[in-house]
This record gives sequence, C-alpha cells and structure tokens, in this order.
Amino acid sequence: MPFSMRPGVARLFRLPLRSRTAIHADIDEELEAFIASRVEDLVARGVSADAARAEALRRLGASLESVRDQLHHSAEVRERQMRIRDYWDDFLQDVRYATRGLLRRPAFTAVAVLTLAIGIGATTSIFSAVNTLILRRLPYAAPDELMTMSLTTPDAGGRKGRNDMVWSYPKFTVFRDAQSVFSSLAVYSIQQITTTSGDIERLSMEFVGATYLRTLGVAPIRGRDFDPRLDEHADAEKQAILSDRLWQRRYNADPTIIGKTINLNREPYTIVGVTPAGFTGLSGQSEIFIPVTTRPGKGDLDEAQSHEFFLVGRRKPGVSAAAATAAVRVLGGRVYSAFPDGRFGNGAAWGATARPLDDVRIAPLVRRSLLILFGAVGFVLLIACVNVANLQLGRASTRRREIAVRLAIGAGRGRLVRLLLTESMLLALAGGIAGLFVAFLGVHALSTLNPAVTSRVARFTGVGSVTLSLVSLDWSALVFALGLTAVVGLVFGLVPALGATRTSVTSAIKDGPSARGSGSTTWRRILVVAEVSLAMVLLAGSGLMIRSLSKLLSTDAGFDSRGVLTARLSVTPGAIPRDSMPLLYAQIVDRLRALPGVTDASLAACAPLSGGCNGTKIEFKDQAPADFSQQPNVGVSWVTPTWFNTMRIPLKSGRAFTTADRVGAAKVVIVNESAARTFWPDGHVLGRRIGVGQGGFSDGAEVIGVVGDIRQFADSVAKPDVFLPYMQSPSGRMIIFVRTAGDAAALGSDLRRAVHDVAPSAPMYDVQTMSARVASSTAQARFSAALLALFATTALSLAVIGLYGVMSLAVSSRTREIGILIALGADQGRVRRSVVGEGLGLVAVGAVIGIGGALVCTRVLRTMLFDLTPTDPVTYVGIVALLAAAATAASWIPARRAARVDPVIALRAD
Amino acid sequence: MALLKGTLDVLVLKTLSWTPMHAFEITSWIEEKSSGRLVVEDAALLQALHRMEGRKLVAAEWGVTKNGRRARYYRLTTTGRSYFRAESERLVDHFDALTSVLSARKTAS
Repeated sequence: MPFSMRPGVARLFRLPLRSRTAIHADIDEELEAFIASRVEDLVARGVSADAARAEALRRLGASLESVRDQLHHSAEVRERQMRIRDYWDDFLQDVRYATRGLLRRPAFTAVAVLTLAIGIGATTSIFSAVNTLILRRLPYAAPDELMTMSLTTPDAGGRKGRNDMVWSYPKFTVFRDAQSVFSSLAVYSIQQITTTSGDIERLSMEFVGATYLRTLGVAPIRGRDFDPRLDEHADAEKQAILSDRLWQRRYNADPTIIGKTINLNREPYTIVGVTPAGFTGLSGQSEIFIPVTTRPGKGDLDEAQSHEFFLVGRRKPGVSAAAATAAVRVLGGRVYSAFPDGRFGNGAAWGATARPLDDVRIAPLVRRSLLILFGAVGFVLLIACVNVANLQLGRASTRRREIAVRLAIGAGRGRLVRLLLTESMLLALAGGIAGLFVAFLGVHALSTLNPAVTSRVARFTGVGSVTLSLVSLDWSALVFALGLTAVVGLVFGLVPALGATRTSVTSAIKDGPSARGSGSTTWRRILVVAEVSLAMVLLAGSGLMIRSLSKLLSTDAGFDSRGVLTARLSVTPGAIPRDSMPLLYAQIVDRLRALPGVTDASLAACAPLSGGCNGTKIEFKDQAPADFSQQPNVGVSWVTPTWFNTMRIPLKSGRAFTTADRVGAAKVVIVNESAARTFWPDGHVLGRRIGVGQGGFSDGAEVIGVVGDIRQFADSVAKPDVFLPYMQSPSGRMIIFVRTAGDAAALGSDLRRAVHDVAPSAPMYDVQTMSARVASSTAQARFSAALLALFATTALSLAVIGLYGVMSLAVSSRTREIGILIALGADQGRVRRSVVGEGLGLVAVGAVIGIGGALVCTRVLRTMLFDLTPTDPVTYVGIVALLAAAATAASWIPARRAARVDPVIALRAD
Repeated sequence: MALLKGTLDVLVLKTLSWTPMHAFEITSWIEEKSSGRLVVEDAALLQALHRMEGRKLVAAEWGVTKNGRRARYYRLTTTGRSYFRAESERLVDHFDALTSVLSARKTAS
C-alpha cells in the first residue's frame, strides 16, 4: 500500500542538501570517469593509449582545469539558488503552519494578541507623552545653551524661600549690565491684552525684551525681528510681532499684514513680523509679542520691587551650565545690594540662581504625574510580558508530544526552532498591529485630554511651550515595546520547547499529553506570583489615587457652586481712573442684580479652587513687632460686600463688609475660620488689629468678621485667608460672580449684554460656570487617577487570566489523582476547596510580595495625594479583598471542573 | 557539424527517454544515431546535464557500468518528460518552417 504523506510532513523528511565538498567530489569523479570511458572506447577501436588520452582531452573542448572549474562554479550557483528557494519555501510553510496552529487555538491567540496589544499600546502612548513633554529637546536653536534665571528669597516664617522668583525690570538691567556669561538675554512676562481692532478680544500675549526671539533662535517667517535697540528706547514706535496662530486666526493669513496696525489697549501698534507656525512663546500660549519698553502705560519698569519678568538667556560658547549658574549666584548679591528691599529685608538677602531651560519646561506636578504614569505603564508592559511568557509556557508543555513526533519523523532541531520562532513572530506581529491601534487611540486621547497643563501651574513655572497637544505617536517606543514582548514570549516559548526536544522521544510519545514537564509548571507558578505582585503594586497606586480623588471630590469646598456663573472682567488701564473703578463696578453689579432670574451678584479678585489670589504676611498690631521671618503667611483676596452671600459662604461671627467700608472709612478685614483658629486660639477674634502685607493694609485694619473656610487650592485643605473689602482697595481686574435660581450656563449672553451696556470698552472673557471651574480644578487628579485605574484594571485582568491558565492546567494534569480522591470518597466540596485553596495560596504569596513593593513604590505618590498617606490601610484592605475575590473567581471554574471528574473515566484514561 | 543553439538539451532528453545513461553513453548514442553528423562537445554536454539536473528535468544517481566502472547515471524525471515533449514539438515545428522557407522556389508573380 503506497504510503502517502501531507507535503509538509514529507518536507521534514527531505535529506539535507549536499555539502560543497561532496558536490565538488561528485563532479571531479564524473569528469574523470567520462574521460576514462572515452579513452577506453578509443583504445577498443585500436588507438594507442597515449593518443587516446590526448584525443579525449581534445574532444572535451577546453582544458580539463577550466572545464572542472566551470562545472564547480555553476554547481555552486545552482546550489545557492536551491538553498534560497528551500529557505523561502520553508518559511512560507512555517508561516502557513503557524497560522493554522494559532487559528486552531483561538482563545490562546486572542488572549496573547490582546495582552500584547495592551502592553505595547499603553507603553507607546505614555512614552510618546513622556518623550514630547520631558525628553525631546526643546524646539529652539541649540536648546542646551538656554537657561532661565530667577531671583531667590530667603527662608522665612519656617518656610523655605522661593528659588523661582521673577525679576523686576531695574533688577534685570543691573544683572544684564554686570553679567558676562550670556551672549544674549531677554525678559518676558505673560499677560493678557485687549485688542479693539475688529471684534473686541482678550489675547494672551508676552511682553518681551527686544532680543527675545534672537535669544531663542527663532526667526520670523514674515517681516522682521525687533530692533535690539528697542530695549534702550522707551519712546520708540510701538511695534508687535504676531504669532502664526493669531495671523491665521484673526487675519486669515493676510499676506500684506506687515506694516498694518493693531489696536491694543486702545493704542495702535505696527505689525512688523509673524513668528513660525507652532511658536507661542515660552509661555506656550502667547499670540502676540510686544517689546516691554513700548508697552501700554509702560507699567512699572522703573519699580525695583515690581517683580513680573521671567528671564531667559543663551550661554556664551564654552561657558558650562555650572559656571553660568555660579556667575548668576554671585551677581544675585550685586542685584540685591543695588535694590535692598526695606519691607522684606530684615537682614536676609535675596539672591539669584539659574537653571537650564529644559529643567523648567513643564510644571513639576505634570512632570511628576507623567513619570508616575510612565512607571505604571512599565508595570503593565512587564505584566503583559509575563502573561505572554506564561501562555507560551503553557503551550510549550502541551506541545511536547507534537515536538517529539516531529523529531521522530526526522525533523532537525534547527528546523523546529525556526517553526516555533515563526509562530512567536507571527503572534508578536499581530500583537504589534493591534498595539499600534491601541497606541493610536491612546495618543489621540492624551493629546485631547490635556489635563489643565497650562492652568495655574504654568503661571509659576513660565515655560509651557511643550503641551500634551504636541504629543504624537512615538515609533521607537512602539518598536521597543513590541521587541520586548516578542523576545520574552520567544524565550519562554522556545526554552521549554527545546527542552522537550532533548527528552527521550519515545517516552514523550508514549506518555501522551497528560505527562507534562513539572519544571514548566513550577515556572508558570512563579510567573503567576510575579504577575500578582506587579498587579498589586498598580492596584495600590490606583487605589490610593482613587481614594484621594474621592476625598477631594467629597470634601466640602466651603461654598456652593451650583447656579453660579463667573466671568473675568478687565477694565483697560488708563481708560478709567483707579478711584472711579469702584463706582463703575458698583454699576455693573447693580445692573447684573436686575437681570431676570439673578438672585445675587458680586465681585472678587479670584475664584476659589484656582490656586488662590496672592499670598502675603500679616503682623499683629496688638503685639510686640515680630521678626519678619516669624510673621505668618496668609492667602489674601479682595471681595465686594455680598460676595460671601453669593457664594453661600457662611458668616460665623461679626459682620460682612458693607458699602460703607469704602476708601476713607476705617480699614477693615474679614478672616476665615482657619485664620481665627490658628492666630487667636482664645476665640477673641473680632476687634483685633492686623497689618496685611498687600493692598495698602500694612498699617493695620480691624478684624470685623469670621467666615467659613473655603479651599483656594484644588489639592490642599483650607488655609488661613484674609479678605479685604474691594471698595477700600480697588483694582482693574476682577471676577464677576452671579447667582441665579435657574441654569447658570444659560445666563451668559444676558451677562455679556449687561456688562457691555455699562462698560463697552471693558472686555469680558473666560465666562464659565463655577461648577466648571471646580471640575477643571480636579482635572489633573482625575486624569492621573483614571489612567492609573485603567492600568491597574488591565494588570488585574492579566494576572487573573494567568492564574486561571495555571489552575486549569494543574487540574487537568491531576485528573487521575483527583479521580482517585473522589473514588476514595472525597466529596465535591473538598475537591473544590483544595483547588481554590491552591490558587489563593499562589495569590497570597504574590500579594505579600506586592504589598511590600507597593509600600516602596507608592511613596512617589505622597505629594499627589489629598489628605491621605501612601500607607492608607483602608486602600490596602480594599485591594487585597478585590484581589482575593478575583483570584477565587479565577480558580472557581477549574475547581468546579475538578469536582466533576468522573473517577471511572479518570482512572481509565491513558 | 556543430550543434545549433538550444537543440542540445532536447537531444539529451531524447536520448534519456529510452533509458537512463551516463554522460559518455549519451554522447556516443547521439553520434551513433546521427551517423557521426552531430558532434557534441563533451564540456557542453556535462554542463547541460548539470543544468538540467538543477532544473529537475533529469535526476542523477551513481551506478556501475558494464565494464565495472563507477558512473553517474541520468534519468528523465516526470517534469523532464513533459518538457521534452513540448520542446521537441516546438523544435520540429521550427525546422519545418525553416525548411519550407529555404526550399521555396521563385514563382511567377
């Protein structure tokens, strides 16, 4: 009977191709035999032996050597082609075979591909963000040479001094004229300005030194840069450079823009240039740049104590960052001695310091949370690797028999390795493609999520030039993650499989699929423990973040945001004298009160939960003058009389401000409960006199009331606050608060019209409901918590899948043992309990290791947690319970299968 | 007379279609059948055999001649047989056409 085989199998039988020497020997022998035959033939016809040989060689057509070489050469070429063809055939065949194999186990393939996709996709998206925001070079010429300089304040009141103070213009000029380590320096200050050319609009802008763009190495794409001499000529023509964004947005990319004028704060500015696309200044939000010396009203350029400028500089070639920093420190002393500060002085001197611009490119909080997320996603990738390894290991052990059969029918080990390799690569490829998709979604989500990166934090750091909206897919990260998972999968698939090829072929075939390498089972247990402990760390991190977030959301902010609409209002400086501002604002408030549906309206300098207004020191006038450093810090805000009422902030004692508390009347302040409790523990608060370091209240004012605490900062509990009556300390920039009985958001157009009627030149902007402000104040926390929770869920799912796989295998490989147990009278409950118990045992080991790891790792979260320590026991109890529940569920299915084993069948098997 | 280009392969395959032979037998057989009119250059024959072996038209195996000498015997494979049929038909057709052209007489037009 003819023995027919599938082509793939027959192929494995094929003898290896002949070696080079064998081929040459064959040719040589054939050639020799050929000539011998001819000689023999000729001799038989009566030719002499010598003549016959000569004739044979002549008939060859060429010399013996050249014929031989030619034959050798063409044989080698043919051999090479055959090898390539064979290799390619083998490859195609491996691909076909591996594809079939993978498709035959859809569950295994789906889980593996999904695991890879999640690991690769998540890592790639987070790494893309990290790369853009933290690692990639800043988009300026030779960014390593750029540094930012700031003033430093001495430690005071038990608090460390600041090392990121901005400069006043006079201090800057002293520094500029004395320094010799920078080739170029420029101040910049982030402001808002009103344009009245066309639609009235409030623009984000930067007042800059004339050499600002030159320092950064950015050249205008249209027009020209500012003349550097502008820094010296305060009376020069007013000029502006537009950002590409504003040029596109407001001027529709008008090619004749250069030379036109734009009205800013009622003054005409000549447009001299347009910056390249994507450049929005170091603030990351500027739409227009104006030389600081030509700005409206010139502001306080002569005021040595009016600190508002960031300072950026480019080091001279050959000057190291350390040398520049040292030089700046020395100069800090000179700047201070030029302008010693009487009020803040007290002997402790201010200084100056410098940092590479790269160090302050992103707000520390964002940097921190990104790095934490990056760490977390690294754990996810690790777990994904472990899971793939686990899956491959499980597969390798069930394949032992298949491999043994293949070896028995003559397949080489190399050939088998190639087959397994192809399979791993196919799996990795599928995972990579799916991962690319996940990464694409992830990056898209990240770039649109933008967790308030530019809100309050940007104000303190200055550099917001890199934002999440710039994040794009990072291919190197994709390849790295793909490679890592593929290699890990490969190692764990190959090593046991090759181990199988080393064992006795006959025993592997005879024993059948139930005899599995106990070694690989041990390995799988170790991997599950590793998975569980990694997942535990992530669970702890996300558990803490979620609990912190829920505390944050549930903690009473101290006011009622429902039904409140807010808007910023800015009266153009110079348009109205400072003294008549209260009147104007009173008119606006009256007008707003008259709107239908509005129950109350008022003004305050800042909105709660937005990072506070200002901070200052207070001194107690009824006590001996304390050293400046001993004076307590407070938050300070300016409010109109009914603001507490509008925000429903309770008055605890005393009275609120009234319209009688105006300029000229006795100065009064209101404090919050925290301040009252902290400063006057005896309860005698009303009637005390305090000096407040801002708003002209340093001479002393009477405390007339105590109000409930409100949280000024999104990420901390209430701190001592002092409120000043707006009517006694007016300013041009305020926030309108309007309370309505109905829908606050619907009030916007009424509000706009009312304000326009009273003050047509005052732009109103940033119109938001108070609820929206509250929501955006927790955006960063929600962003981190959501991503961490996502990662932790993924990690837990992967760990549970791993556990399920191991327990299933453990049960099926012990069917016989379980059968005997049941035959001997063990009841189903006992069998189930023993399987679940084994699963939980593994989890318990993993959990203990994981908790240890978590206690170490979650320390990095400390500063990000609201009113919570990283060792919060509630969180840990919660995640252990969650893990135990998940592990029980994962073991339950195999346990049920074990309990249903029919002893008769189990014992008859094999 | 030297061989026309492209005909050697077909001649060799034809030879092998009778029985497996070694290289010298092949050249002797062609000479004999053509009464010495076709002379195959030995080097060319060996090259052709090896080339056709690479293309799997013929297969080779070591055997022993009637004189007790070891020799490489070539036989036609299935592929070789169908290749030979197609090629020889094409060749015959070609010569047929050639013959009619060359033997054409001038006719009155």
